[in-house]
Amino acid sequence: MTALRTKALAALAATSLAALSLTAGPALAQSAPKDGGTLVMGTVGVPRHFDGAIQSGIATALPSTQIFASPLRYDKNWDPEPYLAKSWEVAKDGKSVTLHLVDNAKFSDGTPVTAEDVKFSIETIKKYHPFKTMLAPVTTVDTPDKYTVVIHLAHPYPALLLAMSPALMPILPEHVYGKGDIQTNPANLKPVGSGPFKLVSYKQGDSYVLEKNPDFFLKGRPHLDKIIVKIFADPENMVLAVQNGEVDVAPLLSDVRDIQRLEKAPDVTVSNKGFEAIGPINWLEFNTKKKPFDDVRVRQAIGYAINKKFIVDRLLGGVAKRAYGPIAPGSPLATTDVNHYDYNPKKANELLDEAGLKKGADGTRFTMTVDYIPGSVDIGRNVVEYMRSALRQVGIKVEVRTSPDFPTWSNRISNYDFDLTEDDVYNWGDPVIGVARTYLSSNIRKGVVWANMAQYDNPKVDKLLNEAAVEGDPAKRKELYAEFQKIVVGDAPILFLNTVPFAIAYKKGLENVPAGIWGSLQPWDNVYWSKKN
Amino acid sequence: MTDATNTAPLTAPVPEAPAARPTRPAVEFARSFAANRPALFGLVLLIAILCMTFLGPLIYPVNPYDIVDMPFAPPGGEYAPLGTDYVGRDILSGIINGGRATLAVGAAAAVISVVLGILMGALAGFYEGPIDAALMKVTEFFQILPTLLLAMVVVTVFGSNLYTITAAIGIVSWPQVARLARAEFLRIRKLDYVEAARTAGARNRYLIFRVILPGALPPLVVAAGLSVGSSILFEAGLSFLGLGDPNTMSWGLIVGQNRNYLLDAWWTVTLPGVAIFLTVLAISLVGDGINDALNPRLRRR
Repeated sequence: MTALRTKALAALAATSLAALSLTAGPALAQSAPKDGGTLVMGTVGVPRHFDGAIQSGIATALPSTQIFASPLRYDKNWDPEPYLAKSWEVAKDGKSVTLHLVDNAKFSDGTPVTAEDVKFSIETIKKYHPFKTMLAPVTTVDTPDKYTVVIHLAHPYPALLLAMSPALMPILPEHVYGKGDIQTNPANLKPVGSGPFKLVSYKQGDSYVLEKNPDFFLKGRPHLDKIIVKIFADPENMVLAVQNGEVDVAPLLSDVRDIQRLEKAPDVTVSNKGFEAIGPINWLEFNTKKKPFDDVRVRQAIGYAINKKFIVDRLLGGVAKRAYGPIAPGSPLATTDVNHYDYNPKKANELLDEAGLKKGADGTRFTMTVDYIPGSVDIGRNVVEYMRSALRQVGIKVEVRTSPDFPTWSNRISNYDFDLTEDDVYNWGDPVIGVARTYLSSNIRKGVVWANMAQYDNPKVDKLLNEAAVEGDPAKRKELYAEFQKIVVGDAPILFLNTVPFAIAYKKGLENVPAGIWGSLQPWDNVYWSKKN
Repeated sequence: MTDATNTAPLTAPVPEAPAARPTRPAVEFARSFAANRPALFGLVLLIAILCMTFLGPLIYPVNPYDIVDMPFAPPGGEYAPLGTDYVGRDILSGIINGGRATLAVGAAAAVISVVLGILMGALAGFYEGPIDAALMKVTEFFQILPTLLLAMVVVTVFGSNLYTITAAIGIVSWPQVARLARAEFLRIRKLDYVEAARTAGARNRYLIFRVILPGALPPLVVAAGLSVGSSILFEAGLSFLGLGDPNTMSWGLIVGQNRNYLLDAWWTVTLPGVAIFLTVLAISLVGDGINDALNPRLRRR
């Protein structure tokens, strides 16, 4: 095998190494998966606990999707696949969804997974999960028999199927999590689930170990015996650990330099496939209630004064993609048929003149502060520093404001003490879950981070979002969201820059690495080592 | 110490007799400073750096915030002789324009630390007894705190701008000056001319500032000079840790903002680092030269 590959290498000397590794991957994957082996994963996210039903965010979702199974899972084309539910039907009127569960699933304590557990989990998520809109339309959940669940909805709700993904709907055993206050339930740290792996130990802030769940209901899976997740204090150390082989996989890279560095490392494959459902967008958010940013012309002018191509190609080294609107590219609902705000300083100057912001004697129209999420270098600080240079060209003086830590930043922004801030916000699948929150006027909630912090208020947008949320016809829904995107981009409460360049880096020899829409936040049950170095 | 001053004239006069017939101390100071090669070199270097900082922007009028080329363009390029940083800004322009803030922070912080230090040290050394004990306890309190950590806390709490950074550096670096000032005051206050002034009815304030302080100044001037250098290093250190003022171009800021890219673009960190190095070196050499020139024993060597 090795000899063969060496020959192939020599023969294809002209082809780039990266291209070769891409073609070699599927070829190897065709052979039967091998069981066994340990995988060492590196991450920088410290999970508060492992219960994804009441905690959002990547740090919890990564282990939670291994420990808990969910009704459905998704392939890379946004199509649902059976998981705990072997089949499902959406009622004609769209007002109920029926799940038929598999009958051989067991929690890691040996009790079977039943319809009651699914009902309990849905109700728990509706009540406690930070994504309030996600299951809001769910009225009641019926359990006609042990393996059938009927979810009743107040109105047709197409986002529900996506909300049944592993990252969003872990199925909890009622007999464990149903006792007492779930927020303080000790099982949040010692989880009991029905996923491919179970948690065996957790050293807070240091590492946790997942072991193969022998009772996993999908026969022959998972292939790996053990996943050790090492938590690193900073990405630099994690990247070094991947480079020197101490860590086999870094499932959630987002720093441009880290990605580029690992792309150069031998025996490491870097892939940015998948992640569309997480849909992270990097943007600039205005305080639309503050002068002069309450004037749409000023916001648009700043949009025209920023060269997005420079940001994507130069600052982010081409690793990230351009984002044109509020729905992340890659989503079937995203459209690029919106104003692109292509770089045009002349137009920016005209708009600012029109808005009555004349240049002063020193060429300055006004001074504005710009914030960014502390710790975010490539998509935060560098973009903001670029803005300082770019906006100077149209007579706007930028004062960069740094925040020593995240709470300082989130307090400032969510209490509207800002002019403009860099921010990156995730779509989390359907627009109902992660998009609407930023634009609905009903979600202008002072003090709440990642609510409608721009205080954007457009009744037309409210109406479109509310209609699209309940529209059962996919084509019509797409139209509604297309119009929504057009209006929001035109009103420019937010200037959309780029996607956050998520990527996964792994050692050669690791196969079937997750590349679905949820990226690394899906069960790793099909992953195996064809050859461990 | 007194022994040394007594023995020095015994050996010195023979070779030095024709040259050293000083009538004015300033002339002698200049002469002795000029004879010190390293100090002279330091002075020339310092003047060159000051010229670059204050006249440079007129000769090389590139705005340090303008994007002049691709990010990380290496030195020797058409648009940026010393290369560009991670946004594509000119490093040369950054060094020229960043010098002002760096030197200003260094000088201002040194002034703060010297004024504070002299005040504390003078009062402690002059009054002795319980006042001395109390003031020295305060000094010790500041001395045992890790200086960089204390400065980081001050800057984090009060925000990263030049004023807080300057104040933070001044606040953490005065104890050394205070110790030095106290030692000088303890020594000088017992000298005859001070006693003479006291018997003549001079008040304490007059004694401290008019009688003792001038005599104590030479080592303090040297300490002040050197603390300009260390303040510049301090500012660079804070910027390196990401606590610099992002809205004022300074050498430390360039180093700090580019430190992630040291492996990809050495010039972004190295060149402003060299500027800091040369400045601190120049200040140290000049400080040493002043020290030598002011010290009567070393002068006669």
